[in-house]
Amino acid sequence: MSAKQRFRSLAPFIVFAVTMSAAIGIGMARPGFPQAKPSSDSPQQLDEGNKLFHARCGYCHLAGGTGTIMLGRRLGKDHALLEQRTDLTAAYIKKITRVGLNSMPPHTRIEVPDSELDLIAAYIARLPSARTPPPNGVTHE
Amino acid sequence: MPVVLPPNVTERDFQKALDAFAGVVGRQWVLATDEDRASYMDIYAPGNADEHIPSAAVGPQSAEEVQAVVRIANDYKVPLWPISRGKNLGYGAAAPRMSGTVVLDLGRMKRILDVNERFGYCLIEPGVGFFDLFAYLQEHKIPLWMSVPANAWGSVVGNALERGYGYTPYGDNTRNICGLEVVLPNGEMVRTGTGAMANSPCWQLFKYGYGPSWDQVFVQSNFGVVTKLGMWLMPEPEATLGLNMQLPNPDDVGWAVDELAPLRLNGVLQQSPSIGNSLRIAASQSQRSEWYQGDGAMPDDVLRTVLDKFNLGWWSINLRLYGYDDVNEAHAKIIKAAFAKHTQKQFEVVKWHRGDPIGNSGAGVPSANALQMINWRGGRGGHLGFSPVLPPTSEHVLKQFHSTKKRYEEIGVDYYGSFTLFERSVTNINLTVYDRDNAAMTSKVRALFKVLVDDAAKEGYSEYRTHLSYMDEVALTFDYNNHALLRLNETVKDALDPNGILAPGKQGIWPKAFRGSRT
Repeated sequence: MSAKQRFRSLAPFIVFAVTMSAAIGIGMARPGFPQAKPSSDSPQQLDEGNKLFHARCGYCHLAGGTGTIMLGRRLGKDHALLEQRTDLTAAYIKKITRVGLNSMPPHTRIEVPDSELDLIAAYIARLPSARTPPPNGVTHE
Repeated sequence: MPVVLPPNVTERDFQKALDAFAGVVGRQWVLATDEDRASYMDIYAPGNADEHIPSAAVGPQSAEEVQAVVRIANDYKVPLWPISRGKNLGYGAAAPRMSGTVVLDLGRMKRILDVNERFGYCLIEPGVGFFDLFAYLQEHKIPLWMSVPANAWGSVVGNALERGYGYTPYGDNTRNICGLEVVLPNGEMVRTGTGAMANSPCWQLFKYGYGPSWDQVFVQSNFGVVTKLGMWLMPEPEATLGLNMQLPNPDDVGWAVDELAPLRLNGVLQQSPSIGNSLRIAASQSQRSEWYQGDGAMPDDVLRTVLDKFNLGWWSINLRLYGYDDVNEAHAKIIKAAFAKHTQKQFEVVKWHRGDPIGNSGAGVPSANALQMINWRGGRGGHLGFSPVLPPTSEHVLKQFHSTKKRYEEIGVDYYGSFTLFERSVTNINLTVYDRDNAAMTSKVRALFKVLVDDAAKEGYSEYRTHLSYMDEVALTFDYNNHALLRLNETVKDALDPNGILAPGKQGIWPKAFRGSRT
């Protein structure tokens, strides 16, 4: 891999490192996120969902990540970045996280607790439906 | 999905054990729905995930909770399968060796307890991922570098305990272990090395302690649950110098190993470079169907077209020198002279100096993008790793390469391999990438794996790590004195774990209670 390729491969990390920094601390029993309440779309909870998405899902689903690349191949670039999607419901996000999809493995309730997943799903589903659904008749529900 | 109970455990006792676990960790951290069980199975298994079905999972948050869970497991004779983050991808992921085993998921134990900049170490819990530790070092501007594996989604502790490796001078992650805290199968807690002194200031400084040294006994073993691990970290160097080259021909890997092995041994090269076939890179940027739709392994002429398109050789080499600028330049000169004996190609040179962006440094920067390659075949991708260890000579490397490639072609799978050069050995990682929904293909892959193990054993090559389904088979290739090592391991196992509750079958080590489950 050339230096340029290697640098490109770091793109998801660079965003990730910044957002992750709040999540880990010496001597902390748990990551420093507030205890989550059931799904909500208040600005504060959407902000928490944003941070959690970057911390838990950013490995693959930020720009340049493997999930983003795979989704782009399958559904087109308009549907590659989860944060920009307008066609995903919170229920769908939660289900796929738990059962996996294609090459994406399932995530256990210990890796992403239900309380965190509620916030992540609300964050991803926050945008109003404004775009066309994915091409090729692929549905998500 | 029917619940697969542990062998010889009644449904009533199993439920009582789960209730008792819940009394320790809280009901929400005992995971026993169908969806939970499925989430701990080996997603990438080649059609045989049902050989390794967990009955439940339990997630303690502290070493004390681990002790309590282990004692309950003894009470009910319920076996446990400890995982750190469960990302042992290609080798079984989070799934247990024996169906019915309860996964002991340590993912909630994710404290970074200490990072010592002066002496270059950290003390961490099993749930700490590579991304977590890296973010911590970056946030606190601590000039220590990690060694990360190609896919860094997993746990630092888990990777070291499975003998994973990265590509910096501290790349042998197992060798960097210094001091463990371990819960034994009877629930007792011990600390290894000088950690066995209650007030030692040297737990993460001196590996051996006094008397037998136990750290490595808990690596790839089922003798205890590691709840804290000391790991040496590399001081940030003044500079690094990368030397990258594409080697055009399949047999070039032979002379490359012969030239690099003495330089690796004498310390000119301090990191362990991976010489990988360039399909790895092509697979991260395209899918097979874009190039070839036929059955069978991709023909060599098609592969050449793929590589030409991406301006790749048959093999890619990325060497990296770490240290002082002048020393790096002197070492680079020696390496360039060695390669000039065989090729007129010039290295691509990548220089980094302290203060430059870390992306070009050769530091261990985590990425999960290696997973991209499982999309090569399309469908629901899967992969399986076959990883023999060889002497670092062209004779061994070329023989093993051609033998393996031929076996891949016989069953119609694209060859996907790398040779990582350590001081005195080469680890040859071969991945088979397949579509999990193609039953004919996965069946062939399973058959291929057994052939590869047999072929390697005939040459005297062992695997450094293997998938759950082949742990017994690989263990049996260690056959000196009628498998004396296996007898030793199982003697120790029975002494430490008379009820056999800890990871039965891991690495082919079976406790008396479940020895009949050996395949």
